Amino acid sequence: MMENPWISGLVYSAVLVTVLMTAIAWISWFERKVAGRMQSRLGPTLVGPFGLFQPLADALKALQKEGIVPKDADPFLYRFAPPLTMALALGTAAVIPFTPHFLGSDLDIGVLYALALSGMMAFPIWIASWASNNKYALIGGMRMVAQGISYEIPMVLAALVPVVLSGSLSLGDIVEYQHVNGWFVLWPPGVGLGAFMLFFTTALAEGNRIPFDIPEAESELVAGPTTEYTAINWTIFAASEYGHSVITSALASTLFLGGWSGPWLPPLAWMVIKTSVLFVTITWIRWSLLRLRSDQLMALCWKYLVPFALMLLLVAGIWTHVRP
Amino acid sequence: MLEQVAFFVVAVVMLLAAFRVVTATNLVHTVLWLGVTLGGTAVAFILLEAHFLAAIQIILYTGGVLTLMLFGVMLTQRQQGVTTVGNPSHHLPAGFVLAAAVFAMLAGAIFRTPLPNAVAQGSNTRALGVAFLTEHVLAFEALSLLLLGAVLGAIVIARRRDAGDESEIAGPAIPARRKLEIGGSR
Repeated sequence: MMENPWISGLVYSAVLVTVLMTAIAWISWFERKVAGRMQSRLGPTLVGPFGLFQPLADALKALQKEGIVPKDADPFLYRFAPPLTMALALGTAAVIPFTPHFLGSDLDIGVLYALALSGMMAFPIWIASWASNNKYALIGGMRMVAQGISYEIPMVLAALVPVVLSGSLSLGDIVEYQHVNGWFVLWPPGVGLGAFMLFFTTALAEGNRIPFDIPEAESELVAGPTTEYTAINWTIFAASEYGHSVITSALASTLFLGGWSGPWLPPLAWMVIKTSVLFVTITWIRWSLLRLRSDQLMALCWKYLVPFALMLLLVAGIWTHVRP
Repeated sequence: MLEQVAFFVVAVVMLLAAFRVVTATNLVHTVLWLGVTLGGTAVAFILLEAHFLAAIQIILYTGGVLTLMLFGVMLTQRQQGVTTVGNPSHHLPAGFVLAAAVFAMLAGAIFRTPLPNAVAQGSNTRALGVAFLTEHVLAFEALSLLLLGAVLGAIVIARRRDAGDESEIAGPAIPARRKLEIGGSR
C-alpha cells in the first residue's frame, strides 16, 4: 500500500465498495434464479443471456421512477434513513481480511467493530419506519428493533468463542491463528461447530432473513418498515439487505471457517468460496423454511440460544486453560 | 494538528446535538439527537486512541440504550405519529442551577483526579483487559454483582405486575366490552 494512510484508505474503500456493490447487483440475480429453480420456475430469462443483465434493467427502472415522500412523513429522516442503512451495511467490510494483505484496517477491536455496526443496522430501518408515518411500517420497525436487540446478545456471545480461543479481538489475528491451528468450526470438538451454527442462526435473524423475517412479514404488514418507500430509496434498502447478508457471511467465514486460509488455491479464492457457500445456504434456507411467530422468536432467543451461547463460552474458556 | 481540528469539529457537532436534545419538541427527534451526541462521544474516544471504549460506546449506548429509549417513547406515545414535549419556561432557572451544580461536581471530580497526561500509543485493549482482571478485579466483580442485582430487580418488578393482572392475561375469555373497544375504537 501507499505511504499516506488517507490516500491508501480512500483507494481501498473505493475499490471495495465498487466490487461489493457490483457483487450485490448480481447476487440479486442469483437469488432470483435459485428461488425460481426451487419453485420449478425459470427466474429472470429475458434481459441478456440467462437474464444476466436483469440487475442493470432493475437499476435503470428504479432510477427513473418517481421518489415519493408521503405527505405526513418526516421528510428529512425519511430521506436520511436509506443512505445510513447502506453505510452501516458496507462499513462492516472495512475490517474483514479478504486476503492476508487486502484488508481495510486490522483494528485491534475488529470483532467488536463489525458487531457494533451490524447490531446498529436495525436502527436506521426503525428511523425509516417511523418517518414513513405508516402503521404497518411502524409495527414492522418495532418488531425489527425487538428482534435486533434480542438476537444481538447470542450473536456477540457466539462471536466471543473464537475470540477466547485465539486470544485476540483482531479479525486478522483470528484468521492467522486458524491458519496455524485449524479452523474453529472443527475444534474444540463440538464447541466450535456449535458456536458457528449459533452465529449463523443469529446472523439470519439480524439480517431479517427467513425464518426470522417477521419485521417484513408480507402477509400481515405489506412490506414492513419499507412499505412507503419507492424508486431508488427502496432499492437502496434492498441492496443494503443483500450487502448485510453477504458481509455477515464473510464475517462468519472469517471467524469460524478460517477466512482466507486453505490449501492449493490463492487466499482470495478461498474467501470467495466460503462466503458464497454461506450465502447460498442463506438463500436455500429462505426458500425452504417457514416464518417463525413473534413469540416463538423471542422464546427461541432467550430460552434456548442465550443459555446455549453462555455454555459454549464457558466450555471454550475452560478449554483454553486445560489445553494451552 | 489534524487530530485537534477533528476534535473541534466533533465537539461542535456534539454541543449542537446536545442543545437540540433539550430544545427539540418531538420526542423521537430528541432521542435521535441524543444518538448523534453519543456517537460523537465514540468518535472522541477514537481520536484519543481508546478504540475499545469507542466500540463499547456504540454497542451499549447508540445500539442498546437508545433503542430501549425509543421503545419507551413508543410505548408512552399519546398522539398518532407525533409525540411532543413541552419546554415550560418557568423550569428554566431551576434547570440552569441544577445543570451548573452537576457540571461543578463532575468538573471538580475530574480536576482532582490525578490523570497521567499521555495519549496511549497503539493497542491498549489488551492492557485494559489485563488491568480489569488483575489490578481492578475486585471493583470489576463488584460492578458485575451490581448489574446482576439490577437485572434481578427488573425481573421481580415485571413479575409483580404480571401477578396483579393474572386474570387478564391467563383468562381464556376476553370480556365482551374489551372486544368492542379493540374492534371499534378508530
